[in-house]
Order: sequence, then C-alpha cells, then structure tokens
Amino acid sequence: MSSSRSFETAASPPPQGGVRKRAKIVVDRVDHLYRPPRGRPVLALENVSLDIREREFIALLGPSGCGKSTLLYLMGGFLPIETGTITVDDKPVVAPGPDRGIVFQSFALFPWKTVRANVTYGLERQGLSRAEREARAQRFIDMVGLTGFEDSFPSQLSGGMKQRAAIARTLAIDPDVLLMDEPFGALDAQTRHLMQAELLAIWQRSPKTVIFVTHDVQEAVYLAERVAVMSARPGRIKVIVDTRFDKNDPHVQKSKPFIDKVDELWGLVREEAIKAERRAGP
Amino acid sequence: MKALVRYLPLLLIALAWEASSRLGLVSTLTLPALSDVIAAWFELAKSGDLVANAATSLYRGGIGLLLSIFIGGALGILMAWWRPLDVLLGPLVELFYPMPKSALIPVTVLWLGFGDGSKILLIFLGCMLPVTIGAFNGARGCDRLLVWSVRSMGASRLRALWDVVLPSAMPELLNGIRSALALTFVLLVSAELIQARSGLGYLIGFLGAGGIYDAMFAVVLTVAFLGFLADRLYLMAMRRALIWRE
Amino acid sequence: MARVAERAPWRSTIGWSAARFLSIGLLLAAWELLSHSGTVTPFMLPSIETVVARILHDAGTGELFINLGLTLYRSLLGFLIAAGAGIALGLFISRSAVVYWFFDPVISVGFPMPKIAFLPIVVLWLGFYDVSKVTMVVFDAIFPVVTATIAGIQGVEREALWSARNLGASERRLQWEIMLPAALPQILTGLQVALPIALIVDIVAEMIMGGYGIGGAMATASRFADSRGVFAGLVEIAIVGFCLVKAMALMRRRLLLWHPEALDPANG
Repeated sequence: MSSSRSFETAASPPPQGGVRKRAKIVVDRVDHLYRPPRGRPVLALENVSLDIREREFIALLGPSGCGKSTLLYLMGGFLPIETGTITVDDKPVVAPGPDRGIVFQSFALFPWKTVRANVTYGLERQGLSRAEREARAQRFIDMVGLTGFEDSFPSQLSGGMKQRAAIARTLAIDPDVLLMDEPFGALDAQTRHLMQAELLAIWQRSPKTVIFVTHDVQEAVYLAERVAVMSARPGRIKVIVDTRFDKNDPHVQKSKPFIDKVDELWGLVREEAIKAERRAGP
Repeated sequence: MKALVRYLPLLLIALAWEASSRLGLVSTLTLPALSDVIAAWFELAKSGDLVANAATSLYRGGIGLLLSIFIGGALGILMAWWRPLDVLLGPLVELFYPMPKSALIPVTVLWLGFGDGSKILLIFLGCMLPVTIGAFNGARGCDRLLVWSVRSMGASRLRALWDVVLPSAMPELLNGIRSALALTFVLLVSAELIQARSGLGYLIGFLGAGGIYDAMFAVVLTVAFLGFLADRLYLMAMRRALIWRE
Repeated sequence: MARVAERAPWRSTIGWSAARFLSIGLLLAAWELLSHSGTVTPFMLPSIETVVARILHDAGTGELFINLGLTLYRSLLGFLIAAGAGIALGLFISRSAVVYWFFDPVISVGFPMPKIAFLPIVVLWLGFYDVSKVTMVVFDAIFPVVTATIAGIQGVEREALWSARNLGASERRLQWEIMLPAALPQILTGLQVALPIALIVDIVAEMIMGGYGIGGAMATASRFADSRGVFAGLVEIAIVGFCLVKAMALMRRRLLLWHPEALDPANG
C-alpha cells in the first residue's frame, strides 16, 4: 500500500523516454468548507493532498458524502479553492476550462439540442470550420456507438445512450484531463458493465489523465491504475492502492489477485461507510 | 373529424340561439338573432370600420406585449442569474403581483392621454409581471451542472447565460408569455371600453351607446374569438418550440 | 478571471423580511425624490404626502370606506358565487362523460377569451346596477375554479376510491369524504387564481360603468383630471389586492395542514 505522496512533485524534470510519468495535477493540502443555504457550514474535505500523473487513470473511491465529488469539482474549477492549492501543469486552477472536461452522473446534456448539436457545441470555440466540426463530432458519435441517433433529442434516448452522448461531447473537445463524476451510477447493471469496458477501450486508444469518482469498488479496481480511498466526512485521502492488472484479459475480474484486491478495498471502504452512517445528519 | 365532435356543443348552442330568436322566445332587442349578428358583422367588415379598429387594437396590444416580453424576460433571467438584483427587485415583484393591473388604466391615461401611447404603456406594465416571473422561475430551475458543462467547454459566464440559462428557462417563460397574452386582451379591451377614441373596445361601446345591438354583438364575438384564436395559435407555436420536451 | 463561486448565503444573513423592506423603502424613496425633483409635474406624479393626505381625507369623510366596502362586497360576493357554483359545476362535469363532452369546448374556448368584452351585453340585459358587476365577476372567476376542480377530481388516485368503495362507502360519502379532500389542494389553487381575477374584473367593471367603488372613484378622478385621486385609488387597490392574496394563502395553509406541502420548508 503506497502513501499519499509516493513520488516526486511537479518540480522534478520530465523523464527521458516516458518511463516515469510526471505529475499532471497536484492537489496540495486542500480543505473545503461547504456552506448550505440554511444551517452551519460543514467541513467537506480536510487536508487533502494528491499527485496525479500524466495519462494516469485514477479512481476516487469512498462512501457517500465523503467529498470525492467535491474534490473533483475543485479540480474542475467549479468551486472556489479557499485553502490549499490545486495546479494542473503547474498552473493553479481558477476557473473551468476545456483542458479539464467533465462528465456528470446526470449526463447534463442540453435537452433542447440534438445529439449532434450537443457534441458540436464544445467545438464551436475551437476555431474549426463548420464542416470540420461536424466531421469531428461524427467521429466521436461513432466512437461511442451512437451512429444513427445524431438527430435525436436526449428525451428520446435511453440512459446508457445519454451517457454515451455526454462522453462523446466531452471527448470531442479533446481535453487533457477527463473528470468523471460517477458517470455510470444512473445506469442499470448490464449497461454499466458495457460502458466500463468501452471507456477502458477508449482510454487505451487515446490515453488521457482520467479522474474517476465512484462508490463502486469493483468498478474502481477494474477501470483504474490507482485507487485513492477516501475517508468519511471530512474527506481525507485514507490510502492509495495500486490496481494495475491486465485489463484486456476478459477473465481478469474473476482472477484471484483481482478479487483479493477488491476485498482489500472493500474492507477499507466499509469501515468508512459505517462511520458515515453512524454520524447523524449534518 | 375529432375536432368536429369536440366542438359540436358550440354548434348546438349557436343553433339554440338562432332558434330561440326565430321562435320569439327571447326579445330580439336584448338578444339579436345570430343571423342578424352575422349579417351585421359582414356590414362592418365591408365598411372598413372593423378592420381599422381591429388594426389599431392589435397594434397597441402587439407592441405592448413585445416590449413586456423582451424587457420582462431579460429582467427575470438577470434576476435569477445575479443575486443582488433578485434581492433588490424580488420583493417588489412579490408586492405588485397581487395588484389588479387594471388599476393602471386611469394612471396611464393620466400620463399619456387617450391615444395609443397610454394603451401600449398599460399593456407593457401589466404584462411585465407574468413574463418576469416566468423567466425568473425558469432560469432558477436551470440545472447548474449544465452551466458547469458549458463552462468547462470554454464558455464565458455571459455565453453560459445565453446558451444554457435562456433555453432552460424557455418552458416556464413561454407559459408566462401565454398568461401575458390573455392579459393583453383583457387590458386592451378594458382600457378601450373606458377611455379611448378608437379600437375594438371603443367600437363596442360606441355601437352599444348608439343602440346598434346586432353590430355590437358582432364586435363582442369578434373580440372574444380573437382572444381565443391568439391563444390557440400561440399554443401551437409553443409546442413547436418545445418539441424537444418529453 | 471569473470564479464560479458557490452562492454566498445572502438570504440567511440579511433575512428575507429585511430585504423586502429595503426594496420597498428604495421604491418609496425614489417616488419621493422624483416627485419633488421637478422633472415631472405634481400632476403626473403627486408626492407621497399628498397622496397619503388624500387617502386620510377620504377616510375622514367616510368616502374611502364606502368605496372600499362596495368594491369588496361586489368582488367577494362574485367570488363566493363563482367558488360555489364552480366547484359544483366541476363536480358535475367530471362525473358524467356526456356533460364533460358538452362543457369541454365551452371551457376551452371561453377560458382564453377576454370575457370583459361581454360587459356591454351584460349591462344591456341586467342594467347598470351591482347585478351586472357581480355577474361579470362570476362569469370571469368561475373558469379557473371549474378547471381546477375537474383537474383535482380527475387526479384523485383511483386506488383510494376503490379502497373506499371496498370498505362500503356510499356514493355520497365517497364524494364528500374522499374525493373533495383529495382534490382540495388543486381546488384551492383554482380559488387562489380566481380571487385576484374577481377583484380585477370588478374594478374594471366599475371603471367602465362608473359610480361608487374604488374603480368607479378612480375613473371619476381620471375624468376630472384629479391625479391625486387616481394615485390614492391605485395605492388603495394595491393594498387591498395584497391583503386578499395573503389572506387566501393563510387560509390555504390552515385547510391543508395534512398535506405534504405544509411540511415543505419552502412553504413555511
């Protein structure tokens, strides 16, 4: 089990030959205070520090309310960073931007636009011609398996299809970093498995830095190279576990090492989930 | 065919009307026969009085309504987007909402006299409220994740307002406009019945005072029908605009 | 450099009532400043003092109360008739398919029509007295009540009715003890819509027909270029309208204590 800071900071020189990946995102002693409209403020994150390497697939795993989504939103620049710093490529995060694409559990598609219009939306800001935008959008629509549904409205699509559209929309702007907030949480079990495999395939084809928030241990171990387990509120990084397996092996999820790893993580998460449950409301 | 069955009762009522007049059940002084009313309608149409006054009324109503839509709509969305504005204007909206807008009729006449100006101002002020409230509620209900998605794709806050908040607010805004449309007709007719020198309401009053009841009935029915037609056409347009809804 | 910050808790710190007074205060201040600044004549915008003085004067002579009383009497009478007849009609319509078929186009066509256009006809038939005004009010206010009642009754859970029948309830009991309470929230919403309508229509009718009543007084003032009278009437109507709506909301809360919406903190 590795500690939270297991390698050099961003200040070290880039490696030769790409053997060791440098830190893409550095989270340094971040706190977050959540202020509800009514009631007292609550500490959602406490002293969180994390280094994320370039093109790494890392999962944030923890019980509900542990602040994993909050951490994601801070990285995305959607919430103000009051204590601590977060830097991406050595630049501090101050606002949202196309370098950090986000995919939400509720899809967040524009219901008044067709699938195609949704996917081309982000491209309008990139200085491409109309034909280029449409061609690019089509590529991603095809990549996620929505060929034929370009002119449908989100209300006409199933949950799985909506999520594919959301992913296509975010991938189309080619962000360096992909932030995913329990993207498969709203899907039924079968669709979820399919989408996990597809996401992995997409990531292997065009590697990006992916930060994947989930409460599903199996999903975390399957998809990610490292899993950061978070404690119950106030969220802290409890431990970071290596979860590199041969993901291309179709039976990897049934192999002993895999199952052991899942059990190990389950144990850690369970502790925190029980703590979270015991705590009476906010 | 289905529409025919649905509106058949109205046909029956019309027939009953004609029958009761023909059979002398009701005095034709107080209730002119439907056929007489229809004849009077054609007379009015031919003489140009109907068209001229209708044009005046529709012009006043149209401009007042359009002004209230754009200004009220923008105001509602800005109030939802920018908290200080909401804090400042919100209580005023709440205060003026229960006020009968028709109370503005004498005030606008005081300010702008009998002509088009006072009617346009009246409708503008009166219709602002339902539009603003619709826009506000619609914009409030906008999913913040949509705004975040758009921002993460490089849109500025202003762009997000235009690309996300405004379309999200559409369903409620369009409903607010529908109420404003009905209110336009009510305020217009009321104002023209009270103090005006032209317009459909004025025409009704004029004919009534002159005892020309069949023509008066004709204009009343015309006005009623116009209100109904406007609403129906608006509904059709609204459904088209919101076709993405399920 | 724009930060998409979490919304700061304005409401909890300032307090909703304080904010309300702040903006009304600003409005009144603006009114005072404008009326005294000289950019508009006292005719166009009388100062607050003169308007208040006028209202007090009318209260002193008793005219205020006569007008207020008449307007309230007509609107509330019309409202109550519309409420009773509307609910009864709504019940009747929703119970029989034939009756529904007959009234559906009448309501559907009648609702969006500016029914005030029919006032001259009503006056022709019923004369220049209160009857016409009240009739007009009923004519206008009954529509939202009927539609709300129909919607409320149709929305009553089928299973609730089946359970009641299963337990041996007669048709009568079914109607009074199950259907109406279940439809009550929606019916009350219809009534809440109808009340301001009743007030508006009555005021317009008074303005058109003249005579006493706040609307009538305003119309008279307007005819005599008595701008203070017009503004006094405006303020009076605004206050009356506000009070009626608040009263209605209070009554709704009392009647619907059992409903989940009463427990919703947003409605608290």
